[in-house]
Amino acid sequence: MNQSTIGTDQPYAIEMRNITKVFPGIVANDNITLQLRRGEIHALLGENGAGKSTLMSILFGLYQPEKGEILKDGRPVRINDPNDANALGIGMVHQHFKLVEVFSVLDNIILGTEPSTLGVVRKKEARKRVMELSKSYGLNIDPDALVEDITVGMQQRTEILKMLYRENDILIFDEPTAVLTPQEISELMNIIRGLAKEGKSILFISHKLNEIMELADRCTVLRKGKYVGTVNISETTKEQLSEMMVGRGVKFSVDKADASPAETVLSVEHLSVRSRLHKKLAVKDVSLQVRAGEIVCIAGIDGNGQSEFVSALTGLEKAESGRILLNGEDITKKNIRYRNSHGFSHIPEDRHKHGLVLDYTLEQNMVLQRYFEPRFQKHGFIRFDEIRTYAEDLIDRYDVRSGQGPVTVARSMSGGNQQKAILARELDRDHRLLIAAQPTRGLDVGAIEFVHEQIVASRDAGRGVLLISFELEEVMNLSDRILVMYEGEITGELDPKTTTIQELGLYMAGAKRQKATVKTEGGEQL
Amino acid sequence: MTSAKERRNEKSKTPFLRRDGVRSVIASLICILGGLVVGLIVLVILAVFNENIPVGEAFRGVFTLLSGPFSAGNLNDALFQAGNMFFQATPLIMTGLSVALAFKTGLFNIGAPGQYLMGAMGSLLVALSIPSTVVPAWIIWILALLTGIILGALWGCIPGFFKAKFNVNEVIVCIMTNWIAANIVSWVFFAADDLFINYDETKVNFIRKTATNGISTWTLGLDKVFGGSYMDISIFLACIIAVALYILINKTTFGYELRACGFNKNASRYAGMNEKRNIVLSMAIAGALAACGAAFWCLNGAQDFKWDTYQTLPADGFNGIPAALLASNNPIGVIFSAIFLKYLGVGGSNMAALTSFNEYVSPLIVAVIIYFAGASKLIKDILARRKVTVENTKDTRYAPEPVPSADPPKIEMLSAEEDRPPQEPAEERRDEE
Repeated sequence: MNQSTIGTDQPYAIEMRNITKVFPGIVANDNITLQLRRGEIHALLGENGAGKSTLMSILFGLYQPEKGEILKDGRPVRINDPNDANALGIGMVHQHFKLVEVFSVLDNIILGTEPSTLGVVRKKEARKRVMELSKSYGLNIDPDALVEDITVGMQQRTEILKMLYRENDILIFDEPTAVLTPQEISELMNIIRGLAKEGKSILFISHKLNEIMELADRCTVLRKGKYVGTVNISETTKEQLSEMMVGRGVKFSVDKADASPAETVLSVEHLSVRSRLHKKLAVKDVSLQVRAGEIVCIAGIDGNGQSEFVSALTGLEKAESGRILLNGEDITKKNIRYRNSHGFSHIPEDRHKHGLVLDYTLEQNMVLQRYFEPRFQKHGFIRFDEIRTYAEDLIDRYDVRSGQGPVTVARSMSGGNQQKAILARELDRDHRLLIAAQPTRGLDVGAIEFVHEQIVASRDAGRGVLLISFELEEVMNLSDRILVMYEGEITGELDPKTTTIQELGLYMAGAKRQKATVKTEGGEQL
Repeated sequence: MTSAKERRNEKSKTPFLRRDGVRSVIASLICILGGLVVGLIVLVILAVFNENIPVGEAFRGVFTLLSGPFSAGNLNDALFQAGNMFFQATPLIMTGLSVALAFKTGLFNIGAPGQYLMGAMGSLLVALSIPSTVVPAWIIWILALLTGIILGALWGCIPGFFKAKFNVNEVIVCIMTNWIAANIVSWVFFAADDLFINYDETKVNFIRKTATNGISTWTLGLDKVFGGSYMDISIFLACIIAVALYILINKTTFGYELRACGFNKNASRYAGMNEKRNIVLSMAIAGALAACGAAFWCLNGAQDFKWDTYQTLPADGFNGIPAALLASNNPIGVIFSAIFLKYLGVGGSNMAALTSFNEYVSPLIVAVIIYFAGASKLIKDILARRKVTVENTKDTRYAPEPVPSADPPKIEMLSAEEDRPPQEPAEERRDEE
């Protein structure tokens, strides 16, 4: 019954007052205040690099702020490390889960707080409590499965149970939906609502406006390390939130003229690729064409062969059979450097694994495929001045923000700016075909808008664009032609102007397929 | 657009103590100091528990150790010890460079002892089998050095090849190639027997000195200057190689590729670099460097090479690892770290000779210092983390532009808090049943 009021008459469950945190070259949090009421779902919204993660890390004891104080139930507290945070009932589900892969779900949940007699864990007792919690909050888990074997969704539920087992009542979710499928997302939202109903206070970090509108009670917005405001969700709109977040109005649709496709740039003929993981064919007999001046999108749910297809196209993996033609030249057997220097630009799916050398500086990353060109080297010696000039030019033109400019270590940059750096590098190279694999993954609305504009500009400059995306809205907004990939095959070709999201969804789920048009040479439907 | 000159000015504006290089040096010095303090504690404990040693002796012991060759007593002895120190540091510089280069490419070259042995074998075989009455000695010297280097490079290729081709961990292959090399070397010299083995001085486990064939490294009179020590010009050659390696790693496209592969193999591949070739090349150069160190040592002319190595591996091969770590893998730093390690070695033997502590204590203290050296990265990070203040961020050239509306944070922008419907009573809780 004591949960019945959550007004200002009660002290805040957590109050972070005037927090300032400084990193070399950047003020990550500048005088930020966050007030979390008991039993509410409070969203924390901001662009990449706005300071959300820093603020949460301070609350979780990973960083110490230079200025400001934290109050729990109205009393000032000091949080020196995550153990302090845990003692205060603060729990966090990190974006990348902190689970022991080879331990069972149960072991992971009780790890660190296991009940024991003389060093022997009382597992039966622990199991009973975990199963009770699991049942009462609707968190379906298999306590004996190893974490490495279970789905991402169940891993997340394990993390939530970990917090509940520790009797945390302030639960932080750091971009919890980034790794989930649509079904898992709606399930998670129900779980979070249930937790709030039980009196838990929820901090929900996200830059996805739709989710915040659906789930949260209130929302605090940060921009470039500064506090912008706190609003009631019931009294605001998606547009207003995005304007608070970005500082200007954001277009959710892409402005682009009709495509005027010209000659064929890329032609793929009967390409099959074997998966590295399970050794079966991940791409089966795929044929498609991309022409200059059009954006062709390969739509599909993650794991239907898109990654393998792009890898074979760019030369990262060997093709099992089939041919790849670039401007009519067979490049199936050519190496990556040849493809890069003969017209391929590639925005890779995983920017940390492939896109950047994270320990290199920004300027070193800007010439990753070009350091050997005469402009940047002389007799094998690198011309540092040229690289600096070039990097500064790119940073300027593509508005890449970082702590120390060209000499910033890439690892220290925010995800959005890392992606901008890759985009700048790939678009500035002399290319005929841009392969963009999930170019907006993990980006906020402002950055997505920028990436989309750049991709359209590349198309309008007469380049062919092959876009790989899992986001239905992106597919519909950006592409001139949609090819759906399902279980390694192209199962349909759709025109974004005439098709609907629902229809596209049916193709992606494999419920529908065009037998006749699978092998079309593409384009006649336009 | 900033010109190169402006940038240089900018660099000089960075406070001296905040510069990366300066921090590395300070971190290394702190580590050494920490090691010495622990060493002192060990000596004090020994003195306390041994009634024959007064506690004050501990301080004399550390002082002797720290003084290196200077604790020798007289000038001639000090010069003699210093000369030998420089000579012995030469192979250590080379193995240190070997390990450092491999580290830069993300590889742990624990195979330096094996590469060292192959280099020693190659150079000795050439230096002792071509009579200097037929071919001029200096030509044989160069041929011997090159043979050693080539053998070492080939030996280094093996772990590199297995890593690149089959993704076998280089540490495992390195350790195995070490012992294979040790046995090959023993076997070859055993088979060749009296062609190479020195029976003259009633020793049986040693190869003839190359001086017996008239092959010895030029000394330019340095051996005489340094009190009749083994000192020769190889230390200077090693320094030149270190500088060249520094330039190779930091200033060339090849070095750019090697480091990119070391940091992120996948991104290097994505960028079109041949990361497998780079792994093999990096290990080959590492092997060549270690072997070159061995050749420098053997070709001095007056050294006894112990040929039945199948039981032990050369310590200088392994000690390249601490030499590289102490220098944070900086090739120029390796020169100093290697000399420093040998400096402590000389001090250690002086400590055993001149104080009440026996010869087992000094390696222990040297080991403690090396152990602390492993923490230099940690100390450097702590130095970097310290004193990051708001004032530090004044250089806003690239910092995000300030938010236009600079109004102070409005806490509770909305006043209509009370209007919010109270949350439902928590009567639905399932655990009531």
